[in-house]
Amino acid sequence: MAVRQLVNDPDDFVREALEGLQRAHPDLVRCHDDPAYVVRARQADKVALVSGGGSGHEPLHTGFVGTGMLDAAVPGAVFASPTAFQIRAAIGAADRGRGVLLIVKNYTGDVLNFRIAAELAADDGIDVRTVLVDDDLATDGQEDGAPGRRGTAAVVAVEKICGAAAENGASLDEVAALGDRIVSSARTMALALAACTQPGQDRPSFDLPDGEIEFGVGIHGEHGVGRRPFAPARELVAELAKPLVAALGLGRGDQVITIVNGLGATHGLELSVVHRELAGFLDGLGVRLSRSLVGAYVTALDMRGCSITLLRADDELTALWDAPVRTPALTW
Amino acid sequence: MDTRAWIGRFAAVIDERGAELTELDRLAGDGDYGTNLRSALGRVRANLSAENPSTPGAVFTAVSNAFLNTGGTSGPLFGMWFREFAKGLGDEVTTRSLATAATEAEGTVRRLGGAEVGHKTMVDAMVPAARALSDAAERGAPVETALKEAAAAADTGARSTEALLAKRGRASYVGEHARGVVDPGALTVAWFFAAAVS
Repeated sequence: MAVRQLVNDPDDFVREALEGLQRAHPDLVRCHDDPAYVVRARQADKVALVSGGGSGHEPLHTGFVGTGMLDAAVPGAVFASPTAFQIRAAIGAADRGRGVLLIVKNYTGDVLNFRIAAELAADDGIDVRTVLVDDDLATDGQEDGAPGRRGTAAVVAVEKICGAAAENGASLDEVAALGDRIVSSARTMALALAACTQPGQDRPSFDLPDGEIEFGVGIHGEHGVGRRPFAPARELVAELAKPLVAALGLGRGDQVITIVNGLGATHGLELSVVHRELAGFLDGLGVRLSRSLVGAYVTALDMRGCSITLLRADDELTALWDAPVRTPALTW
Repeated sequence: MDTRAWIGRFAAVIDERGAELTELDRLAGDGDYGTNLRSALGRVRANLSAENPSTPGAVFTAVSNAFLNTGGTSGPLFGMWFREFAKGLGDEVTTRSLATAATEAEGTVRRLGGAEVGHKTMVDAMVPAARALSDAAERGAPVETALKEAAAAADTGARSTEALLAKRGRASYVGEHARGVVDPGALTVAWFFAAAVS
């Protein structure tokens, strides 16, 4: 007996969700069916931003297509990379002759398929650059030849800030350099209170004993890097934030943009409490909170838990963060 | 050289023996390899009958497109491999054009996938096959002879993966479990060249 979810046929899950997205936001997005990708309803004469990856992380990436953010998003099956052909088609649909920036989270399948798509698009005569997002501190410090840090919620900051720069008329080189700078200035840590369940499956992807949480989880329902005793939010937030502050070398007088991200089944009240504790923690270090984003933006289906992203900020990044954005999932 | 008949024989071998590949992948990976390959070859057949290509280049373009439309890791890598055959063979199959295409193709797969000979992947069959074709081209051997030698070299290369510990690809996650198991990607390459001359 499968876990109860609002699904028809699991095989039609992503396609039906795209239809629903388009029906909800016909003024913002157009969903292409075969191959599957989402583009802006109204395209602009500027450098195009294209991202994508496995589905199951909504609103990432399809919810971030619109003015001031992505020009196209390419959804794969749940937790599986889109194909190179899907990505190539989205690049072709987004390109306005000013070049295309690909924003790719660091996973083997995504990296490979986006790299191949970039070569195919280059053969089509399109100028393509790639920013590889690898912010997950839990997967840092692996041996040589390992895939390296995974890409998680910092991708929202890359899409938002690069999107604003592109909207302002920045060149492909400038937008790509900005993306690289954001990636090198951002780190993320996550924890899970309960695992997620794949559509059509009868049990979650892992079991957690009473009184324990999974620390250092990614966004694919996989195990984290260790177990911790369950504790009040204040202690858990400090455990997530401390290694981020250390990794970015943050200290008194520095400013950060924070993303407190729900993993899919965490309530807004909980996320606000997490942000309260994070803000207090940063206050205590003399680190200034420049801007905050609190909500479910990069999810792992219905995982219970959260991630914290810190991005070392400056006036330029903060101004681009503040620039107008209008997408299904992010608008200001 | 009738490349469309070559692809037809390759697809028939995968139909017949795809389950063996899945079993190898089950032992050393996640067990969906044969299924993915069969679905790619289903697209190959559909593309070939829809486009009815008249040149070797067009045949291999149809094959490449089918694989690039298949998910996973091996699908796009094979897609890019076949794409170099499409580019290199053009209107006519010669020993020289085969050698050039196979050499470019193995180079593309090594560059994109990061695997080298000895990593227990498809590259372990692709590289010796390309070398055999290049040697045959140097001697001025006819296409049939060159492809026979390539098939033998790819087969030896595929068999050599049995004793290896994987450094790349899905089998690298299971360590010693994969020792003693022939890499299904390398075996696919061997079957591809064997289908050229059977």
